[in-house]
Amino acid sequence: MRTIVVYKWARAAASAVVRQGGQVDWGGARLAAGEDDPAALAVAQALATQSGDVAGLTIGDGETAWALARGADAAHAVPALGPLTDNAATAKALASAVRQIAASQAVDVVVIGDATADPGVAAALAAELGWPALLGVTSAAPAGDRVTAARRVGNAIETVSLPTPAVLAVAAVGEEARAPGMMELIKARKKPVAQLTVEAPAEGVSQRATRLPAAAGARLFEGDADTAAQALVAALRGDGLL
Amino acid sequence: MSVWVLATDPDQLEPLVAAGRQAGVEVAVVAVGSRELAEAAAVSGADQVRWIQTHDAVPPEAYAPQVAALARGAGAGARVWLAGNAPAARALLGAAAVAAGAALVGGGLSLAFEGGVVVLDRVILAGAVIETLEAAGKLAVIWESSGAGDAVGGAVGGAVGVPIEEVLAAAAPGAGAGGPAPWDMRREATQVAATAAGLADAPRVVGVGRGLRSRADLVVVEELARALGAEIACSMPLADDLHWFPEERYIGRSGQKIAPRVYLALGIAGEPQHMEGVRNAKVVAAVNNDPGATVFRHATYGIVGDLYEVAPALTRALEHN
Repeated sequence: MRTIVVYKWARAAASAVVRQGGQVDWGGARLAAGEDDPAALAVAQALATQSGDVAGLTIGDGETAWALARGADAAHAVPALGPLTDNAATAKALASAVRQIAASQAVDVVVIGDATADPGVAAALAAELGWPALLGVTSAAPAGDRVTAARRVGNAIETVSLPTPAVLAVAAVGEEARAPGMMELIKARKKPVAQLTVEAPAEGVSQRATRLPAAAGARLFEGDADTAAQALVAALRGDGLL
Repeated sequence: MSVWVLATDPDQLEPLVAAGRQAGVEVAVVAVGSRELAEAAAVSGADQVRWIQTHDAVPPEAYAPQVAALARGAGAGARVWLAGNAPAARALLGAAAVAAGAALVGGGLSLAFEGGVVVLDRVILAGAVIETLEAAGKLAVIWESSGAGDAVGGAVGGAVGVPIEEVLAAAAPGAGAGGPAPWDMRREATQVAATAAGLADAPRVVGVGRGLRSRADLVVVEELARALGAEIACSMPLADDLHWFPEERYIGRSGQKIAPRVYLALGIAGEPQHMEGVRNAKVVAAVNNDPGATVFRHATYGIVGDLYEVAPALTRALEHN
């Protein structure tokens, strides 16, 4: 199957510094691989195992070699596109890039991380492309011209068959098994990355303000360890929970 | 001005209908699922209910074309679309947002209309910050499910049932009965995931995270769990990366989801990925040496301290009472 994996399309929350008044300072943080990106790439590679290939698609100014160093056959970048608040706008830009890649050869599946911070991008991307979407996917395999994907629903594992082309949003069930070494990275940086241009999408939201949440929800027990522990146990007993 | 709620599960109805009600506008629910879901929507406090009946073997997201058609048709006047954080609900909301030409964001906490502007408070950065957004046009919002920040909640008491309007006849794949055909998606199998014995139903669970420095130190946690009469669970890295626990002991978005009466989080930072697995716990108590740890925003009780001192102290407190 010809598969596109979308990677490094958002900033890492860890790059943000939250000021005392609740202002958020990103300090020029570049777009980074999300916690679900390695799992998304693994699913894309599983779909392309028997035949086909995996092309990476990234936006912004991040390190484009990320997917190439992990075995992607090609990479495409939309460098002029920055992080967007509006998930529909992000999806519109990604869809435009996918259409450009698909213009030369049809794409069967687009795989993207099911990011907690941007939970609407995958579904809106599918809607923009006019394709079905399955979210929360943990693994997938080709099945003829269809895809069989597994996902967790409550405490059950559900297997769903869907037609292609399709969008799969992958939720990581673990951390990346093996990160590439320095030699693989250096080699990947020498590979060509196709540069794409998409029209900057208009965002339908604007930020008015940011603030810290109301005081932390927890009632904190203070004192030395024994004093605090006794107070917590007493509180739990008082609530009838022990 | 109206708010349209997309629901694929009865649990999603209450906070979403309440959010629309608190914004002071008409609320319509689009129930995509069983008749039971539609009936729950009818008494949820909504003003209107539309029902897209799903086929047993077809996941709700197959009906995205119907939802998109609704967003262009009867729902064209909706100013705001809301859905919960479940994958199927999000998939349908994406279809509605694109069809409606709406902006789309996650983390929704509260909604208001100020003149012609939609004002949304939402959580960002794993609950560390509340962001206020404005939308001059249509807006679709995935609602926050973890109870972080100032989340809106509360039952809609005394709701009177409203009629259920079935939008389309039951449209099995390929049936073509009215409106666009659903996607040809099929549930092929559903199996119960491996669960650790006793964890799913345990009234008390001690969860341990990366605050624990070595596997040998688990004895500290085991002694506390014994004194508390609790099962032991862990965060993802302790099962997946360090292999200190079997996979079925890992709590989180893609792991076990539990609902104990008490969840005691030891050395757990409180990432949304983990907290989603315990959002149905009655009480969360947390021990962490970082006073700024996200887990304290989700917890009812907390102790800021070294788990190597606090866990044995808790064991003593439990044993001496």
